[in-house]
Amino acid sequence: MLPEVNVMAISAVARDTVFALRRQIAKIEGTLPERLEAPAAGVPADVTGPDRTIIRRGLAVASPDAFMHTGIERFDTALGGGLPRAALSEIHGLETRDAGAVAGFALSLVSLILKEKQGLPILWVGTSEIFHEAGLPYARGLHALFGIEPEQLLFSEAPKLLDALWIAEEAARMTAFAAVILEIRGSPRLLDLTATRRLHARAQSANRPVLLLRQAGEADPTAAPVRLIVSAAPAASRETVAGPLAGSIGRPAFKVDIGKSRTALPGQFTLEWNPNEHAFAERTENPVAVVPASQRGADPAPASGAILAFPALATPASGDQPSRQQHPAHRSPRRAG
Amino acid sequence: MISHRDNNTQRIAALDERAEALKLKRGMGIADARAMHPMIDVVEADPEADRRLLEGLADWCDRYTPLVAIDAEDGLFLDVTGCTHLFGGERAMQDEILTRFFQQGFDVRAGLASTPGAAWAAARFHGNRIIAGGEEEALLAPLPLSALRIAPETRALLESVGLRTAGAVMAAPRAPLARRFGATLLLRLDQALGRLDEAVSPRLPVAPLSVERHLAEPVMLTDDIERLISRLSVALKTDLERRGEGARTLALLLFRVDGAVSRIAVGTSRPMREPRLIQRLFHERLTALEQNIDAGFGFDLVRLSVLSAAAFDLVQGDLTGEAEDDDADIALFADRVRARLGEAAVLKPVVVESHLPERAVKTVPFAEAPQRRAPAGGRAAPPRTAPPMTIYPPERPVRLFRSPEPIEVPATEIPEGPPMNFRWRRALYRVARAEGPERIAAEWWRQLPGEEEAPTRDYYRIEDSEGRRYWLYRQGLYSTAPQAAPPRWFMHGVFA
Repeated sequence: MLPEVNVMAISAVARDTVFALRRQIAKIEGTLPERLEAPAAGVPADVTGPDRTIIRRGLAVASPDAFMHTGIERFDTALGGGLPRAALSEIHGLETRDAGAVAGFALSLVSLILKEKQGLPILWVGTSEIFHEAGLPYARGLHALFGIEPEQLLFSEAPKLLDALWIAEEAARMTAFAAVILEIRGSPRLLDLTATRRLHARAQSANRPVLLLRQAGEADPTAAPVRLIVSAAPAASRETVAGPLAGSIGRPAFKVDIGKSRTALPGQFTLEWNPNEHAFAERTENPVAVVPASQRGADPAPASGAILAFPALATPASGDQPSRQQHPAHRSPRRAG
Repeated sequence: MISHRDNNTQRIAALDERAEALKLKRGMGIADARAMHPMIDVVEADPEADRRLLEGLADWCDRYTPLVAIDAEDGLFLDVTGCTHLFGGERAMQDEILTRFFQQGFDVRAGLASTPGAAWAAARFHGNRIIAGGEEEALLAPLPLSALRIAPETRALLESVGLRTAGAVMAAPRAPLARRFGATLLLRLDQALGRLDEAVSPRLPVAPLSVERHLAEPVMLTDDIERLISRLSVALKTDLERRGEGARTLALLLFRVDGAVSRIAVGTSRPMREPRLIQRLFHERLTALEQNIDAGFGFDLVRLSVLSAAAFDLVQGDLTGEAEDDDADIALFADRVRARLGEAAVLKPVVVESHLPERAVKTVPFAEAPQRRAPAGGRAAPPRTAPPMTIYPPERPVRLFRSPEPIEVPATEIPEGPPMNFRWRRALYRVARAEGPERIAAEWWRQLPGEEEAPTRDYYRIEDSEGRRYWLYRQGLYSTAPQAAPPRWFMHGVFA
């Protein structure tokens, strides 16, 4: 678990102590101390400049390709550069009926990975329970939407979670798979910090991503640096020459919440998957503005994707107390359905 | 004493020496026997259990020769041609087999001869004799007709004409014998005398290659067994290399000191000969079976056999020695998972030409799936398996349920239209948008003659009020007939 500090209120006396602590935390978290600096009140700070190098565990300097860019600048920024390439990442669905959206989002990420590692197979490990509840991956659908050829897909159904974990661990240490997906249901005790740390360590040493799909699971402590909570979003209408076709169901769309990430910045995004270009697009004309841009007309956000993923950053009444959304999301108790 | 039911009476089927001493006989009624000796102990016959025991013994006899056949209800044929020198000659081998069986508590008689027929007669009528080649006639001549392995009816006929010994039959002219008693009699006679070859059909296929190790001290620990496997597979490797083959199926036979035999098989999805890999496969299998293998007092013979082999094509590594073969890695991974979790642990989808969604993709175990060709040179995209049917392929879900799940549809806007809401797994969903229908008809060419035509399916893509997308279908059509049941609705998959 990451140690937690609240660096919002800094008195002048404690400045030195805080600075020392911050360095220590930075060392543990594998990031630069500047990154943990609190954004000055009122000014939407640019948290990650493009030139910042990221320091991984063991204080080795990692190149920016330690992260996979999703193509959505705001999303990448909130994740601290993108989704880690060689790590365990959790993707949660709040209910089993969201399994389609969760699988779809995970497969879009896999599709992005496959852009670079063409032809490599992927392995999908699941327990019998989840395959029974949520259905088996359907090769025809995967091909049409995500460009994953049927012969690239291997799946493995384990009657027990212990077996599924064993398969996933064995697969995670191989470089022959482009990605390993482990799908389980609920919050079993077996999948604890130790088990996820083993998966994470293997993914790191093999330099391959492992996606942990948890349907209807609680936000338990795990070793995964990133947790995304995915649910379905209403799709846009189909585009035709004569404009959007009313009543039609267009490209798949996902609502993605960042539950946990290195930067601990919260955020909610509506991403749309473009099956033709195999790329994400963010939907901006969302009826509910999830992340408002700067609310002051006089001080608009910089144009080049430096919008900060802080909702309602400096409402005058809030003062020094962080608003509810401003807490790192993994600290707030999350209700899972 | 063992009884069996014959013609509605309990009769004696088999009996031990003490019962024989009481002048009881086979075929006697149990009621009569009880009247004579009220204290006798009677057990119901269990042919199934007898058969299992005999099979167990046959397994155990595998240690002497791979060619073991079961003969009727109470015999075993062991073809020991070329095996006797391993046990110090014919006499020593026969003695060892008899001693071992005696120690296990069996009363066994053995005969060793150059033909199965003579050995059969020797075991039953002489006891523990070794008949050299050419002595068969002398052996058989004084024996009764039952030594010839012929049907009881033929025997009775022969006896009725005064031919009471095998020698008498041998002396009789052949043509009238064949005419009157059938060809089987002469066949059996010729086989016993070695004029005709008789093949003993072994119970188990003979492994093309096997290596074994006799242990002076029985082993019990799994680690010891694994160490033995790696030693045996080193020996196996040279044999496989000489033949230019790799193993596809391997079996490990563990002979327990008290006669039980454990047989553990692993399959590989590509030919394999590397001892390290073979040992890893067996490691997974043994881990999975740890509870099921009872080492008892230990195993004193461990044998590793190649049950099937295939040509092994050598792959040349590059000079750095770092050439990595992803496909080989995956095949090994799949084999290990299969060794531990069973045949269907790693599955691969195979696209089939069909309109029916559940038939369009078949999942087969990895080992049976067509192997992916490694892209030559750089990582080129794999070739398409099937050309797309249209430029705009029909939308298909990312997940498909094993079997379509029935849903309740209270109302549709128009009779043949999409539902307005539906109940699936006891939860109500309100339909926000719908696309469709896509009509998929049943495949009439797969329909058996006389079978009723399966109803067509109208598939709809549905988006519910929360944005989740589903694939529903209506089976059949609404009918205007008064008694017609309304068509049923099913949930078949979910979209991304």
